[in-house]
Amino acid sequence: MNVDLKTKIRELEDMIEIVLISIPREISAREFYLNSVQKFREGFARELFTDLAEQELGHEAELRKILKRLKVELSELKKS
Amino acid sequence: MKIEELKKFDGKDGRPVYIAYKGNIYDVSDSKLWKNGSHINRHFAGEDLTHQMAVAPHADDVMSRYKIVDKLETEEKPVEIDKMDKRRDFYRKFHPHPVLIHFPMALFFFTFIMQLLFLIFNFSPYENAAYYSLFIGVVLAYPATASGIYSWWINYQSLLTRTFKIKLYMSILLLVLTSASLLFRILVPGISFTAGAGFYIYNAMLFLGFPVVTIVGYYGGKITWPG
Repeated sequence: MNVDLKTKIRELEDMIEIVLISIPREISAREFYLNSVQKFREGFARELFTDLAEQELGHEAELRKILKRLKVELSELKKS
Repeated sequence: MKIEELKKFDGKDGRPVYIAYKGNIYDVSDSKLWKNGSHINRHFAGEDLTHQMAVAPHADDVMSRYKIVDKLETEEKPVEIDKMDKRRDFYRKFHPHPVLIHFPMALFFFTFIMQLLFLIFNFSPYENAAYYSLFIGVVLAYPATASGIYSWWINYQSLLTRTFKIKLYMSILLLVLTSASLLFRILVPGISFTAGAGFYIYNAMLFLGFPVVTIVGYYGGKITWPG
């Protein structure tokens, strides 16, 4: 295996690790905002935390897609 | 149009570029930002981008520039609860690994300190303290390690990336070293008082646990605070 390929594989593995560690943090952040919504009956605060929770859901979805793509890329690189 | 049909409009080989957002399907073929069916090389045509738009740097009124060509049909599927989601909910609620791991780690550090004090001052209560804390540390280390492996399974897809590889191997090494030390001490109670190969082996195994438990703790912290 040449050095460039090894470096690329290592970089991909590092990227996968970063994304992997981020996903539970997005889920926790979303749970945190959703719990915060419960503390307010109405108004701006509920809207704000609901919106923030929705954004975290977006982050999670995005990260899962990225993770899937990275894993495929890594698998293909290792086969080459 | 169903999501499976939408996938065909990926902008490749001259095909139109369609994206779905909040139930509408938009034709973005004429947009310079969607050349060859991808947007900034991160978002791809032929998909439902509703969640991704939630984190876009632009507002969703940007979609008003594009023609709606169809509606996205969503199939009414019964909601399947992913077992992993339930396990993650349980983990988030009770976080067993952070709860369990601090006891054996603290006890192992205490063991090293007490054994070191014994070797310096030759005061046998220090050796007793080292033994008892080692005993309880080893007993608690197994459920703590199991909870860590459980977390790795449900939260991190059991992927053996560099950090998890180090944590896993070092945790196994720690269990081996401390369990072997404990067994040695139980079978030969006077091991710390008798000069010879056994004395050196026992203390070497014990003190080797110090850097190992530090590494395990460090990489656990790296997962929690990846900065």
